Amino acid sequence: MPKNIILICLVLFITNIHSQLRIEIKGGAEDPISIGIVPLEWNLDSPQDIYLHQIIKSDLESFGEFKVLPPENMLSFPSKKEEVFFKDWRMLGVDYLVIGRVNVADFPGEIIASYTIFDIVREKSIHRGSVIGPVQTLRKIGHKISDKIYSRVQGIPGIFSTKIAYIDKPSKGDPNYNLRITDIDGYDSLSIFSSPQPLMSPSWSPDRQNIAYVSFEEGTSRIFLQQLNSAQRQGVKLEEGINSSPNWSPNGDKISAVLSKSGNPDIFIYDLKRNTWKQITKHFGIDTEPDWSPSSKTILFTSNRSGSPQIYEVNVRSNKIKRLTFEGTYNARGRYLPDGKGIVFVHRKNGVFHIATQNLKTGKIRILTDTFLDESPTVSPNGNVVIYATKDGDRDTLAGITIDGKTKFVMSSIKGEAREPAWSPLID
Amino acid sequence: MNITHKFILTLIVFFLASCSSVSMDRTNDATAISATATGAYSDTGITSNNILYFAYDKSDINSEGRTKIRTLAKLINDNNLSVRIEGHCDERGTREYNLALGEKRAKTVAELLIINGVASDKIDTVSYGEEKPASPGSNERSWSQNRRALVKTF
Repeated sequence: MPKNIILICLVLFITNIHSQLRIEIKGGAEDPISIGIVPLEWNLDSPQDIYLHQIIKSDLESFGEFKVLPPENMLSFPSKKEEVFFKDWRMLGVDYLVIGRVNVADFPGEIIASYTIFDIVREKSIHRGSVIGPVQTLRKIGHKISDKIYSRVQGIPGIFSTKIAYIDKPSKGDPNYNLRITDIDGYDSLSIFSSPQPLMSPSWSPDRQNIAYVSFEEGTSRIFLQQLNSAQRQGVKLEEGINSSPNWSPNGDKISAVLSKSGNPDIFIYDLKRNTWKQITKHFGIDTEPDWSPSSKTILFTSNRSGSPQIYEVNVRSNKIKRLTFEGTYNARGRYLPDGKGIVFVHRKNGVFHIATQNLKTGKIRILTDTFLDESPTVSPNGNVVIYATKDGDRDTLAGITIDGKTKFVMSSIKGEAREPAWSPLID
Repeated sequence: MNITHKFILTLIVFFLASCSSVSMDRTNDATAISATATGAYSDTGITSNNILYFAYDKSDINSEGRTKIRTLAKLINDNNLSVRIEGHCDERGTREYNLALGEKRAKTVAELLIINGVASDKIDTVSYGEEKPASPGSNERSWSQNRRALVKTF
């Protein structure tokens, strides 16, 4: 391909990719890790070589942790280990390097991307990998390579192949509520259920095969389970009053939820095998928004039993209750961090709703966001990033922040009115 | 665990971490499939006489509202009607908490209708929380219109 055409492609793709996540690094961010991603040697007929590079670059730079060296600054474009001159890359200030190639795979219509990750300082390869898939899954292939780079360099799983489920409310273009699933960069958003009546509270099963959510299609709130590969859906045994706030147990055999059949909202557990409800909390106030702990032993919930909404924890076996939040008069919709050592929740300060974290050992609160009406926080399965619902003017939109508060981003590629994000588990 | 064991374990972990690794992944082309619900329930038949407003984060009804409910109770009993009461909230606060608050508002209206002679088996309540605002703005003017209970007769 002539050089000027490559350049045009590059410019086009850069503009395209940059519209995915609008990143704003807040003050105090440390030097990002510098990495060179040599555009993979493209041994196919179709001219898509730069695209894969751009997907990986966009992934790694999403949360401000990496800075990818622009290909035009590279001194060489190695595709084999023998062609890598560590001195050159050290001179360019690169900490890690990725090289590789894309070839036709054995199975028709499939391609194989083989890559090697080098530690430039130690002058050695730290990982060799390959990803096979249909040619139309190039974005997924890129995300898989990004995941591996991330996990080898950072020591925790990469999250670029995970998904976000969210609710899209009616807008000018679509009179329906939609339950949507998207890649975390906002691409490939797909409606998996639409209804003229409200939808709420999506929750992923731990095997990532099902989503539980609330639908008002029958004129009242009811919990539904939907299989993602078949669109098969089933209503959970309906009780009098509110049926809402489903949240899957870590081993997938139960769902915690809210029922108000006892006269007021309480936390219940639904056994998926026996189709039975079991009451966990019992109080005349409002108990809602359950979230199962990673260890399965406790459930986080919001209650106004003290007079204002605060976050509590109930032991599933003993039903013993412990209050966790004490600062302020509105703490709600808590979610455990994946290590179980902290929670993220909605905290009201001076009448404004923020996303905050609390260390469960020290009780220390940290406010992460400074926008208006922030709600529904969801944590990445590696514990590093929080995505939440916020406002862009009057429009509902999704934004994110790293758990250390240093990098903020807006999911500007998500169109329409997005709310209630739910981060999928890691498993594909 | 004694110190020697710990040391050996640390060595093993360090060795594994410093080694080069090999991986083989496969992308999954399975895409999610969509479903659709029908069955619309509309907001028709609402006048100022069958709508009640609430203060922020409150579910109690003022004297003006109580007068409205007395008139409604008479209308319902005179015409042998059934009612469905919908509770709604403004957008402030979390969605599920607001769903609970909306139910409390609907139930308060139901209790007052019962006190005024309507049979409880003629009353149905539902909460929509903050999911069906009457006015879409993020300001007090919209919020005050959204904190409401609708009494729908049929």
